[in-house]
Amino acid sequence: MRIVPASLLRALSASVLALGVTASASVAQEGSGTVSFMVFGDPAELAAYQSLVAAFEEREPAIDVELIHVPSASDYRARLGVDFAAGDPADVVLINYRRYAPFAAMGVLEPLAPYLRQSDVISESDFFDIATDSFKWRGQLMCIPQNISSLVVYYNRDLFDAAGLPHPADDWTWDEFLAAARALTQDLDGDGRADQYGVGIEPSIFRLAPFVWAAGGELVVLESGLRPIRLALDSRAAREAVEWFVALQTEHGVVPDALNEAAESSESRFLNGRTAMFFNSRRGTPTARAIDGFEWDVAALPVGRERAGILHSDAYCMSALTEEKDAAWTFIEYANSPAGQAIVAESGRTVPSLIEVASSPAFLDPAAAPANSAVWLETVDSLRTVPILRAWVDIEELTADELERAFYGQASVDEVIAAMITRTAPFFAGEEG
Amino acid sequence: MSRFSLSWRAGLWAMLLPYLVGTLLLIGLPALISGVLAFTTYDALTPPVFVGFANFRLLAADPIVTTAISNSLVFIVLAVPLRILGALALAMLLFRPRRGAGGYRAAAYLPTVIPDVAFALIWLWIFNPLFGPVNVALGALGLPQPGWLADAETARYPFVIMSVFQIGEGFVVLLAALRGLPRAYFDAGAVDGAGRWALFRYLTLPLMLPWLALLTFRDIILSFQWTFTPSFVMTGGDPYYATMFIPLVIYEEAFDRFRFGTGSALMLVTFLLSVALIAAIYLLFRRRGYVADV
Repeated sequence: MRIVPASLLRALSASVLALGVTASASVAQEGSGTVSFMVFGDPAELAAYQSLVAAFEEREPAIDVELIHVPSASDYRARLGVDFAAGDPADVVLINYRRYAPFAAMGVLEPLAPYLRQSDVISESDFFDIATDSFKWRGQLMCIPQNISSLVVYYNRDLFDAAGLPHPADDWTWDEFLAAARALTQDLDGDGRADQYGVGIEPSIFRLAPFVWAAGGELVVLESGLRPIRLALDSRAAREAVEWFVALQTEHGVVPDALNEAAESSESRFLNGRTAMFFNSRRGTPTARAIDGFEWDVAALPVGRERAGILHSDAYCMSALTEEKDAAWTFIEYANSPAGQAIVAESGRTVPSLIEVASSPAFLDPAAAPANSAVWLETVDSLRTVPILRAWVDIEELTADELERAFYGQASVDEVIAAMITRTAPFFAGEEG
Repeated sequence: MSRFSLSWRAGLWAMLLPYLVGTLLLIGLPALISGVLAFTTYDALTPPVFVGFANFRLLAADPIVTTAISNSLVFIVLAVPLRILGALALAMLLFRPRRGAGGYRAAAYLPTVIPDVAFALIWLWIFNPLFGPVNVALGALGLPQPGWLADAETARYPFVIMSVFQIGEGFVVLLAALRGLPRAYFDAGAVDGAGRWALFRYLTLPLMLPWLALLTFRDIILSFQWTFTPSFVMTGGDPYYATMFIPLVIYEEAFDRFRFGTGSALMLVTFLLSVALIAAIYLLFRRRGYVADV
């Protein structure tokens, strides 16, 4: 293979070639200028980031922060990629730990470990380990995590009470979960179709993963150097988890089938009081706080052979291209200081990644729903992460396509497990580790 | 005279220039770059690397790509004839002056000016398998209620149906064409005792054939691209790639996964497919001897 000599292509990519060179961090404590900061989320989340920016600008008058808001998470991801490709990304961006690897591998993110080491405000030991570890690319901290959220069960307290069911206990089991789901799935008008479902959960590997781990299985097979080499869903334990997960729809009918899900999403059904339990991360809290028709709370994931949860975490990343590195770091540092994280945590959006803020009233405010916010902290030790791979996005998308077929009864569990392993194999092969 | 001609031609060029420059810069140049990128791996962040025909081999081996090509071709085969015939039928129905004709013509054109995303969202509701008006009406009539977009067997049909409502431009072209047909031919046909069907079959249709051919060529090109917004907004290619069309794959390859090489290669394949289809239609019409005069 050789580099294309065409000057046309060089002209096209001239602006982005510079990105190939990772700038060495010249760390300073303060800066000035304008920093662009791109976020996604609903109006409640936007308000939180606006408050954060306002507080920062008051504290650092020499730095202006230009907030760029993209409402939809998927549009945000597309925008992020296109902005980096165009060589004009925002100076500071929020990226999920499942998605930063391609950017880190291409050298377009400024490693933040040197900045953090020299900070007088925050240090790595202030954060939950799993949050910082998930943003280490080849051993180096690339971004500063803002949260340590995880998957939990949002549940409608009123529907549990109406069905005479006890609210989920911290250590409830898969069997207890399923029994509740069956009792809460009801045909209210007697037309032979369920009008109220017990559970809403999307058939994706990201939702399935904690059940695989709780069954004693693994998501991926690791070679001796700990490099993931393929999906491990064909192990006995993982297969059991997949079968149990799929049976929620195909056998027990406690989750809407494809038609009903297409007609109205499970999230909408939950918010409208017609699905009793909905799996989501802390991200669902600002929206759920707007519910006024019923009481709701959150519970830990049901326990299988062992307790397992899955990390949901976004981080503040700095573009390697930015000319305002010092100012950008000053903003990132403030956003992840106790004062900055408290502002965003109060919106309900985040489970703070700073241990100090997570255990403060900013997050555990007894007056703010959900009452059981502590569940996110109590289960931190059981959290695991998906592998940090450049092609993880591809793997998630392909496995979702296959898993959906089994979940909606269009293919057998064994068939889709085999398809998931075969179809994702090229993406593992392309990873350098 | 020559000075007048020169200034006339200069005036024409002046009017054409903005579009010419725009076409070269916004279509010609990107198409050229895309044509070159098709033979490289390129993530827009690191320099492109020449890989010969490797991208085309990757595309041929990717079942999602072959499914998308098949879906796009099926869509074209179903939608293009329906759209052309629909436009012709509407034009035939509405070209004669009558009371309220202007309103009907505006109504026929209206769906074409609705923004694509809004149009897709409206149809997403119309084909909602439980609450949408189509299935509610079918249920009220005691007829089977398909899953439409939620069922792989039926998911492509809503795309065809909704595309048939955006035929305003073809309708206007055919309306103008119908008005331009020489009345004398029809008067002579009527004197010879031809009925309405005979007039349509032996006069209107042959005379309109060049216009219909032109619209068919245009519609084939348009239809390769038209599926992007509805598939992006309504289904994302689901269920299980039943609504995965070529433009969505190109978008996902290039802008979601930063594989501009394979995205460009698929664009080149689409271009060649369009050319092949148009050539086939051209030969078909040409044998009938009508296209030569277009």
